[in-house]
Amino acid sequence: MSLIQDFTGYPPTWCPGCGNHGIGIALKSALVGLGLNPSTVFAVFGIGCSGNMNDFLNAYAIHALHGRAIPNAIGIKIANHQTKVIAIVGDGDCYGEGGNHFLHACRGNHDITVVVHDNSVYGLTTGQVAPTARKGYKSKSTPAGIIEVPINPLALALTQGATFVAQVFAGNVSQMIEIIKLAIQHRGFSLVNVLQPCVSFNKINNYQYYQKRVYFLANEYQKNNFELAMKKVVEVNKEKFPLGVIYQVEKPTFTDQLPQIKKEVLIEKDRFTDFSSLVKEFT
Amino acid sequence: MADKKFVFLNFFYGLYRLNMNFTWKIGGEAGFGIMTTGLVFSKIASRSGFHIFDYVEYPSLIRGGHNAYEVHVADFEVTHLKPIVDILICLNKETFEKHSSNLNKDSFVIYDKKEFKLEGDYKKIDVPFKKILAELKGQGVMKNTIALGASLAIIGGEINELLKIITEQFEKKGEEIISFNKKFAEAGFNYAKSNYKKFLTNWLTKKNPKGSLVMTGNDAFSLGSIIADCRLYCAYPMTPSSSVLSTLAAWQDKTGMVVRHAEDEISVINTALGSSFAGARSAVGTSGGGFALMVESISLAGITETPIVIFIAQRPGPATGMPTWTEQGDLLFAVHAGHGEFPKIVLAPGDVKEMIELTTKAFNLADIYQTPVIILSDMLLSESHRSLEKKWLDDFVKRYEIDRGKLINNSKFNPAKGGTKLQIKSQNFLRYKITNDGISHRLMAGTPGYFYQANSYEHLEDGHTTEESKERLKQVNKRNKKTITYLTKHFQLPKTYGDINQAEIIFVAWGSIKGSILETQKRLLEKGKKSALIHFNHTYPLDKDKIIPLFKNGKRHILVENNSQGQFGKLLQQETGIEIKEKILNYDGRPIWPEEIVRKI
Repeated sequence: MSLIQDFTGYPPTWCPGCGNHGIGIALKSALVGLGLNPSTVFAVFGIGCSGNMNDFLNAYAIHALHGRAIPNAIGIKIANHQTKVIAIVGDGDCYGEGGNHFLHACRGNHDITVVVHDNSVYGLTTGQVAPTARKGYKSKSTPAGIIEVPINPLALALTQGATFVAQVFAGNVSQMIEIIKLAIQHRGFSLVNVLQPCVSFNKINNYQYYQKRVYFLANEYQKNNFELAMKKVVEVNKEKFPLGVIYQVEKPTFTDQLPQIKKEVLIEKDRFTDFSSLVKEFT
Repeated sequence: MADKKFVFLNFFYGLYRLNMNFTWKIGGEAGFGIMTTGLVFSKIASRSGFHIFDYVEYPSLIRGGHNAYEVHVADFEVTHLKPIVDILICLNKETFEKHSSNLNKDSFVIYDKKEFKLEGDYKKIDVPFKKILAELKGQGVMKNTIALGASLAIIGGEINELLKIITEQFEKKGEEIISFNKKFAEAGFNYAKSNYKKFLTNWLTKKNPKGSLVMTGNDAFSLGSIIADCRLYCAYPMTPSSSVLSTLAAWQDKTGMVVRHAEDEISVINTALGSSFAGARSAVGTSGGGFALMVESISLAGITETPIVIFIAQRPGPATGMPTWTEQGDLLFAVHAGHGEFPKIVLAPGDVKEMIELTTKAFNLADIYQTPVIILSDMLLSESHRSLEKKWLDDFVKRYEIDRGKLINNSKFNPAKGGTKLQIKSQNFLRYKITNDGISHRLMAGTPGYFYQANSYEHLEDGHTTEESKERLKQVNKRNKKTITYLTKHFQLPKTYGDINQAEIIFVAWGSIKGSILETQKRLLEKGKKSALIHFNHTYPLDKDKIIPLFKNGKRHILVENNSQGQFGKLLQQETGIEIKEKILNYDGRPIWPEEIVRKI
């Protein structure tokens, strides 16, 4: 059995009051709760305040490039598909710079868990608008207010084939722990969008803002109903934020569909040596 | 026969021999099976005991453009094309119009006079393609089979070799399709044989077949990656690298490799870096534009010290450039790719054999130095077929050893040497420990009891982020040291062909251009001019101290490159101070051919 402190690396450098502290604790608690330890978890971090968790969480990890954590995670999963692979990323990181990878990872139902710190702002670069910010959001890069409408990550994930789509609020650690556990246990692509206040740079989407607008999905909510899930994920347009597992179905994962790694993981297979059977083609 | 030469003493190979060679060429509209027919001919020539070198010309279109496929056949090793086409198959008029300048009065021209009137003084072989097609109820695309059959009759080839290949090609489609296709081959063969008795030659009369293989550079990279136990290949299609993706994808059921066609080249390289981090030998392939998208991640591989092999098949740029043509235009780009300073190795094979050697070596180097290794090919090397002696390949496979460097491997995955077991005290493994050779041990990720991170930020020995001056210096120096270690342990000097001391002219070149220069040397020798070639295939980094002695003062050095700026010349000057003033540069998208070099000297 592992303990929280086994996962604890260097002390966090996040701002006091930042939602990241709660996410970090929730993530470690979830890992402990699942009986994992730093040697059995593969984590890939994006670049941003969220990605800085790389130094605070012990695991076999890649601190990736901005936007590119997802393909790194996919590569790890293909090479060693029996391990748990988690990408810890930000909204600008995953929905902006790496948006293309996000869409295609959903399509592939790659068995990775993507935890997105969604605070509508770029914290590490001190306050430019993120793609999830509401239209008109004023920031250092958009002093007159952002012209674009916000991206809808949950709707994107749903429509592109993600098999687990959840939303949580950084102010509620106990729910975060439960949902992250479910996401990691899910076989297939799982998205956990974390609504997270940035106390330093986002004066609009603060704790009070979310507390007024979030609500828990009812116990009887049918999470395998795609149409219902679509209705839930567009509530963001009315500034309503459902919390919980919005959608979950079982489908074969990407690595499930690779016959060459059915019996053994890729890194543990014996070397292929029947070269003459390939060379025949060239005679 | 057109190009039959009697060379009594060939100093170049030190052999007494009788040279026989000819060029066969087919042309027609894209979509009419020109590529397939050309490759079938190359294989027939190879199976009949001859060496081949072939070259394709095609526009970046699927239908409607003009395709041509040229095969140089010889009873000695060939590395290039020759100027005269000895037998030209015109599946349409355009073929004749485009290629008649390479014909002489002894050239055979196979055509259908119902399709166009052939003017000029050639050995004309009119084969009624249309009539035969109509009689046998064939589709238009089968014209190439008739024509190939007819050409075999003229050059004394065996129809059975063609029939055998047709059987292999259509094996899955059943006996009926096989015999249907054979009829067209036989019809063409018999027509030419009985109507053009006066023209029949014995050029392709079967010799003792040596068990040669017919391979492109892309085939050789694909096979090399399998020999090297590469487990993941990731790519996004881009001419002229795409056939590596399709070849490895077709093989994956057999080889067990995972081949991923990702959404873009950024995903391509980051997928491969993820799998490499997890312990699988991994490679990516692309051309210049796709490589441009990968560049930030090359830098990631550099700082995280993650092994990766990158295959680049160059084509003329900038931007989309000329996708289906050839150029050596991305050398300096590859050498300098990636922001920041980190070690990188660039290898540029000169032919198919070197492609096998260097590809397999690249995977070892990537593991040993834990850094990106680039294989630079180009359309000429990637898509031209060459003969490769099967025995050489068999021996090479036996000789090749996988070396994973300082990988500590406690799992059962241990192809050859694996890594030695270390006593590790801390759970937090020192992934970036300072060492004398600049290379740290790499614990197989997932090893129980430990953990570490591969950090894209500057880091401490344990992988954690740092911005401390002292630690920064330590890590930069450590990474730089890998280049010094490489130059001492694995860098190979350029190979020289011919005697540098006796040569009047010394060519300096790199990569795929080798074949043309070797042939140029033969041509010069026939004129009594001795020459040498200094050919680089370990193109970066370069060892100044070892290279300078190769360049003797007072000699006439000529730099030959398939680009407009003499990129290797610049690199050589930057790294060694050697400046080669005389240059022969070709950058029209075509390879530079021997006669052009001879003319420009």
